[in-house]
Amino acid sequence: MHPQMPPKVALPGVKQLIAVASGKGGVGKSTVAVNLALALQLQGQRVGLMDADIYGPSLPMMLGLGVMDPQRTAFPVEKFGLRVMSMGFLPDAGRGVLMRGPMVAKYVTGFLTQIDWGNLDVLVIDMPPGTGDAQLSLAQTVVVSGAVIVTTPQDVSLIDARKALNMFGELRVPVLGTIENMSYFVGDDGKRYEIFRHGGGRKLAADCGVPFLGELPIDPRVAECGDAGVPIVQRFPDSPISKAYLVLASTVTQQLHEKKAAEALPEVQL
Amino acid sequence: MTVTLRPLSLRRDGERLVIAWSDGFTGAISLRKLRDSCPCASCNEKRQQPPNPLHLLSDAELKADAPTPVAMPARGLYAYQIVWNDGHDTGIYTIEYLRQLSERA
Repeated sequence: MHPQMPPKVALPGVKQLIAVASGKGGVGKSTVAVNLALALQLQGQRVGLMDADIYGPSLPMMLGLGVMDPQRTAFPVEKFGLRVMSMGFLPDAGRGVLMRGPMVAKYVTGFLTQIDWGNLDVLVIDMPPGTGDAQLSLAQTVVVSGAVIVTTPQDVSLIDARKALNMFGELRVPVLGTIENMSYFVGDDGKRYEIFRHGGGRKLAADCGVPFLGELPIDPRVAECGDAGVPIVQRFPDSPISKAYLVLASTVTQQLHEKKAAEALPEVQL
Repeated sequence: MTVTLRPLSLRRDGERLVIAWSDGFTGAISLRKLRDSCPCASCNEKRQQPPNPLHLLSDAELKADAPTPVAMPARGLYAYQIVWNDGHDTGIYTIEYLRQLSERA
């Protein structure tokens, strides 16, 4: 096959594809992606999770997985009932991956087309920060049903989130809405503290005319769980934040149905 | 978000590509114009250079017939890639660009 030619059918058994994105790094995309995936699964869906962050894959650690022998491992790997693929499974990735954009594009396209994801209701894609090769490859290779934009409350995060929203607009990928992560903290005194200010996610949604999907509180256990390899929705399903993730999963599912998932472009008759 | 304009059908009609749009407009683009408007980086650069009267035709250019797309797969939701009979295939034509090139059919 010619390297530039897209494959005929990408992800034939996958019904919906959700990209979890943000322009900025460090807002909790991977945390949201993994916990959203688990929440969708708790609601009875068959879910896959693809790490499109080729330079800085976080999902393996968050799921308690590590480097694997690609000769002996059948990808995607199963963990907590999720089918998972990440650059972090490949032996060289741990040392840092030095590569130019076209190689990133090759890996992202490869994850989407060379890996047998089987039948899934939803494939959640954890996007890297920025608006570059990984995002373009994704949008050129598959029909993305919808994107969710993760942001933190403060204005600095909104600058980049807005860029991500514009990018999806240009790529005609429907935006399901914005999520405000690290929105507030409830102390032992029961009081609500807005550590990183408040309302950015809602403001962004209003400015850009997309739905606001909800707020996720700060809970120190999220970081502990991530580092220990058992995400909070799996470890503490009854915690307030896990409940927030379940609500988020329902909202996302509802948005996908309401938006009538993106319609593929017509075939050209030559 | 606003309702976006989209193509309902695209078909080759002789030396033209005819596109029917969701707003009721039907437009056509001649294949020559489509080839000459290739938006890829190298074609963009070529167009920016002054015409060279001493340009020597390459083998591919000499052998090429009238430009004809041999494949035109959709790329995601926003563009089509055109694979031409001269082997050139790096042009990704966005929906907006195709509309811009369309003339009333």
